[in-house]
Amino acid sequence: MRKIIVAVLGDDRPGIVAAVSKALFDYQCNIEDVSQTILQTEFAGIFIVSMPPGMSHDELREGLEGRLSPEGLAVYVKEMRPVESRVAPETEPFVITTVGPDRLGLVAGITGLLAEYKINITQLKAAFRGGDDPRRNIMIYEVDIPVAIDHHAFRAALYARGRELGLDVSLQHTDIFRQIHRI
Amino acid sequence: MLTDREVLSTFEMLRNEHLDVRTITLGISIFDCASDDLSRFKQNIHDKISRLAQNLIGTCEDVALKYGIPIVNKRIAVSPVAVAACPFSAPQMVEVARTLDDIAREIGIDFIGGFSALVEKGMTRGDRALIEAIPQALTETGRVCASINVASTHAGINMDAVMLMGRTIKRAAALTADADGIACAKLCVFANIPQDIPFMAGAYLGVGEPDAVINVGVSGPGVVKKAIDRARAMNPRLDLGALSEIIKRTAFKVTRVGEIIGRQVADKLGVPFGVVDLSLAPTPNVGDSVGEIFQSLGLQSIGVPGSTALLAMLNDAVKKGGAFASSHVGGLSGAFIPVSEDLNIAEAARSGHLSLEKLEALTSVCSVGLDMVALPGDISETTLAAIIADEMAIGVVNKKTTATRLIPVPGKKAGEKAFFGGLLGEATIIHVANNGGSQELMSLGGRIPAPIQSLVN
Repeated sequence: MRKIIVAVLGDDRPGIVAAVSKALFDYQCNIEDVSQTILQTEFAGIFIVSMPPGMSHDELREGLEGRLSPEGLAVYVKEMRPVESRVAPETEPFVITTVGPDRLGLVAGITGLLAEYKINITQLKAAFRGGDDPRRNIMIYEVDIPVAIDHHAFRAALYARGRELGLDVSLQHTDIFRQIHRI
Repeated sequence: MLTDREVLSTFEMLRNEHLDVRTITLGISIFDCASDDLSRFKQNIHDKISRLAQNLIGTCEDVALKYGIPIVNKRIAVSPVAVAACPFSAPQMVEVARTLDDIAREIGIDFIGGFSALVEKGMTRGDRALIEAIPQALTETGRVCASINVASTHAGINMDAVMLMGRTIKRAAALTADADGIACAKLCVFANIPQDIPFMAGAYLGVGEPDAVINVGVSGPGVVKKAIDRARAMNPRLDLGALSEIIKRTAFKVTRVGEIIGRQVADKLGVPFGVVDLSLAPTPNVGDSVGEIFQSLGLQSIGVPGSTALLAMLNDAVKKGGAFASSHVGGLSGAFIPVSEDLNIAEAARSGHLSLEKLEALTSVCSVGLDMVALPGDISETTLAAIIADEMAIGVVNKKTTATRLIPVPGKKAGEKAFFGGLLGEATIIHVANNGGSQELMSLGGRIPAPIQSLVN
């Protein structure tokens, strides 16, 4: 059975997930996986669905757009390609926290370095958007660091990048947060 | 996926509240180094300790970096030297101490513990030689720590040993008179000494322990204080039941840090993990003080009426939170109130809020005892010994550890300052009432029998 990814964006309000899931149900699409988030006032949802035999990708896209666009929701539909079978490198989960005044290029600066070291980001969040103190913008990156990379070199490069960007950076294994806060 | 709060509160504890692992202490048995030939014994302990501890500092630094948690002190505790080096004379014991000092320097650690004897019921030749050697050994070395257990709930109080320790402390102070009697800052006298203390100066490796073991001392007075301050700022009407719950939860977090870091270090070194010692251990830094917690909970200063009740609550909450957080708890496990090592407590002693008598009362509900207390240089041996005897009685009757680390500062009087430097800090010399009034009792000697509380079988 073919799998399709449906992404939906729009101003957050009650009823968005109901509208999307009702439309999918009407097209006999089974929701296999779903995740949603709200960023400031914006809703974003991503659904992985299996399509019934005989239905085309375009048919589903047009149908969903017809139902959801009038409600102010943007829809993106994409066929999910089977993942090439490759052995993923062994990784360990770490958390990078950056604290410092907001300016252009902070996320690009940090993530560029992560890309260079082939470090995958699994979660990224602006935890505190300044508030009373604009110097204390905080970004939290959850990352998987390949075991095989030179950790000392990466740490040094990350701290150096933090200094260039005017950020106070820390890098800690995820276990410490779980140990402290969870039973 | 972690929550923002989990990440940010940990970040805050590390950056602003002095969250750290206070000490990782590698216990090493030196019983298999025994020999009646001094050179061979010294060679044996040098070889064994160097072999087992060569990666201690590097491993601790790697683990500290990985988790982002500082490990402030890395130390070594060995089997009681009085047992392992039993055949030797006092001058030979001094040589053993010098060897331990050399090993500590080579490895790069600041303290090595275990220049110790257990004499609660009587003394062997080795015990006598070791105690006789203490003043010289602690004067000639900088990193060796000594501890003598003179009492236990099961044996009572060896008053001959107590008297001997009064004399020994005075002699050690006299030999280091130019440094305010600093030798005494490396000497603890205990009742019910635990076998697995990671904290100095009391750390040694007991006879029931493995060949090598990692024990961890956590800290966290700053974290506890900030948690109390935050909670009270948000809700000024919190009562002591609610506040003790906050302390408990905070102690849980602090202890979990010690547990994970200790286990990682033990794994990497290939030695078993022993215990986490759940103690609130202060340092002479602002924001890392047990005394400040008293003020956060509404007392003018540690030492004023209400202090004993507050310390009892604090100590209990720390233990309850910590016991749940760790699979193996041991060592001293309680709040420390070392006068010179805690800026706030040192200030309470200076301003007169904290007297020797109140300190003694406080030790009946916490773990350590009269710790890092600077006393007038003219205190008599018998008064010193009698203060020790009182402290031992509190431990023996209450089936708990108590200890003294008393420093009679040569040539200085109550109200003057003693300077010990570094982690040992500085303190105002505390007034001793009734100096000389215990002469006759202390001359009686013998052993105060074990209390009825010891008959538990």
